[in-house]
Formats: sequence, structure tokens, C-alpha cells
Amino acid sequence: MKTCDKYKNLIEKYIEGTINNEHLAELTRHVDTCESCRMEFKRCVLLQDVVKQSFSSPVAAEQAGASIVARLSEEPNRRLKPVFHDTILSVRRQAAVAAVIILAVGLFLGFALGRAGTGKPIAELLATQVPINIGKLEGTVLVKHKDSDIWQTLQAGSNIYLGDTFHSTAKSTCVLKLDGKSTLELSQNSMLVLKLYNGETQFFLEHGECTASLNSPHGPFFISTPHGRVEALGTDFTVKVTDE
Amino acid sequence: MAVESKQNIARDQQLVRAALLGENSAFGIIVEKYWNMVVALALSKVSDSTEAEDIAQESFLKAYSQLANLRDPSRLAGWLSKITMQQCSNSLRWAVRNKRALGCRTTSVEALDKQPAMAANPGLTQNQIQFVRQTVKQLPEKFRTMIVMRFVAGLSTVQIAEQLGKRPGTIRVRLHRACKLLRKDLAPLLEEVGS
Repeated sequence: MKTCDKYKNLIEKYIEGTINNEHLAELTRHVDTCESCRMEFKRCVLLQDVVKQSFSSPVAAEQAGASIVARLSEEPNRRLKPVFHDTILSVRRQAAVAAVIILAVGLFLGFALGRAGTGKPIAELLATQVPINIGKLEGTVLVKHKDSDIWQTLQAGSNIYLGDTFHSTAKSTCVLKLDGKSTLELSQNSMLVLKLYNGETQFFLEHGECTASLNSPHGPFFISTPHGRVEALGTDFTVKVTDE
Repeated sequence: MAVESKQNIARDQQLVRAALLGENSAFGIIVEKYWNMVVALALSKVSDSTEAEDIAQESFLKAYSQLANLRDPSRLAGWLSKITMQQCSNSLRWAVRNKRALGCRTTSVEALDKQPAMAANPGLTQNQIQFVRQTVKQLPEKFRTMIVMRFVAGLSTVQIAEQLGKRPGTIRVRLHRACKLLRKDLAPLLEEVGS
């Protein structure tokens, strides 16, 4: 039986077309003496023959080859199409890159304009300058623009934009000059954010202290804090936000 | 066997190179070499021999015009088989459209039985040939391709694996499964022919 296992493997190799002549001769000798292997081998050979015969073309291969060559000669229009793999690839790649760039710009513009809902220029939408100037500046006061993670040192004469956050470090103060003679002084260890509220600039004191000196008479003036909104009734007032 | 496979591949590469240089006779040799395989692949998808030969011709002409696109001439047989299967699908789509427009003409099995066997198939009657073709046609496409490439084109499993870019083990498994299915479905016919 062990011997037959070996020949069954050889029959499998015969089906696969990977049997060499030496093994084929050995298999042929074996099937002459073994009934079981002979039947198995015969069925495999028969299957191959039957399939081959059923799928054979009545047109001889030589005739078909000659016919195709004649057709190629008769049809001069049927030429080998030249191909430029690299050029085509590079053109396709360039087109793809261009399409991606256009799509990205389109999405960005659509998003920016759609979000704003106005026809304002993008630069203006991204950073709206407000009519506030830096007055007195002592020590180190840091400023961070909207959508930025970078803190910069505030300089006298710096432009102030909506969304700016001011952070005065220890022993540092700064005075923001509002319209007219009004000022807002940020004390040390304080944080103030300029926000847009109902179309106007709103002062939001995150923590610390700030003192407003308003021109008289003045319109409604508010300072917001995490605990509430404070309206200025007089001309001078101080708002203090502590953790308590 | 490996040496034969390498020689076969080298021969295909030479023929493709020559055909690309404008030698139509080299392409003629390619046609001769793979004609039976391409016709058989077409026959495994369409029923009519004439239609299969038309598909084979069109496949070779398409292959000729796109020969420069063949990136790896050592896989010529695999490339031709793909073009043929594509042509078959196109032909079948066209046939379905025309059947709707013109109505279908079929040949009955009884009528086929009375037809003499084709000269190329002396051992089997026309009915038996149709039965074998139908049985092969019912196999999944990946099995059909195995059967045709192995038994008609005479490629070994190693060569088929090279042509189709598959692992030899995968091809071996597919071939044995296909053979098992065929032996089961063709058992009565094999009994009849073998006795």
C-alpha cells in the first residue's frame, strides 16, 4: 500500500504536468502490474484526452496563424499601437495631483465662505483687526492669535485682532487704548480674550483683574467673565476673577 | 521541467520582441502556439465553435494592437487568456442584446447527436463533445481556466502559476479540485468511452 501511495503521488504529478520522464517510465511499469493504480491512471489519462478532444479547434493552429498574419498584412490600419508607459503614467500622475490640489482649494474656499456666510475676503475673515492700540506696557505680556498655539511677546504698536488672548505675567501690566480716551488695563497674572459678541468686540476676562476707565458719557460697556457678564455703569471700575 | 519552462518563456519573449519590431511572422508563430488554448478558453464560455473561433481571432488581433502594452512578455499566455475572457464577455453581452432584438436560434441535442463528429475530434460524438463542454462550462471560471491551460494548452501547474502570477500551490489545489468535479460529473461518459 505504501508503494501505491508513492505512485498515486506520481499520478498527481502527471495530472499537474510536472512528472519527469524517469518517473513516468517508473509509473508506467507499475501500472502494468497494479490493477488499482492502472484504473486510476487510466481515468486520469482519459479525462485529459476527453477534455482535449472536446476543446480542440477544427481549424489547425498553423492555418489560424497564417490567416491572422494575412489579415494583418491586408489591414494596414491595424498597426501596433505605440505606448509610452512613462509619459502616460507621468501625465496621469500630474493630472491626479492637479485634481487633488483643485479639490483641496475648492473645499477650503467653500468651507471658509460657507462658514462665514458673507462675501468678506478670507484674510479679513481669518484675522479681523480691531481699533484697539497698546498704551502703556510693562514687563512681559504675551499674546496669542486665534487658531494659533504660539504665544508671542506683545510689543507696543502691535496690531490687535479679534480672537487675540492676552496673558500678563507676574509684575506685568498692559493698557489697551479703546476708542476715544477709554482704556482697559490688564493687571499682572491675568488673561483677557477679545471675542465677537452680537457684532461687537467683547472683553472676556478668563482670570485675573482688569480696570476700565471709560470716557464720559459712554455707551453700554460690558466685561464678561466665566461667572457672568458685568456692565459698566460709571466711568471707572475694576473686575476681578478669582478661583473662589 | 524547469528548464523547459524557462526555454518556453525565453521563446515567448523573443517572439514578442520580434513582433514589436514589425515581424508579422513572429506574431503568426504566437498565434500557432496559443491558438488551441485561446479557442478552448472561448469555448468554455460560448457554445458555438464558429463563434469561439471568431472570438479567438478577435482576441489575437486585439493582442497584436496592444502588444506594446504587454509589460512582461514572459506572461504572454496569461495575458492572452485575460484578453480572451474579456472578448468572450463582450461577445456574450452583444449576443444578449441581439437575442432580444432578433430572437434566439438554438440547436437541439437530438439534432447534434445526428451530426458527424468533427474531424479534429474523432473519438467522441458531437453529443459527447457538447456534454463535456457543458460540464466544463459549469465549473467556476478559475477552475475552467486551469483545465484549459493544463489539458488543452499543455502547460504545467508551475507554468500556469507563472502565467497567472499565482503561487504553484494555489494552482495545484485548483486543478485537483477541478479534476475531482469533472470526474464526478463526467463519470458516465468516461465509463462509456473507456470501456
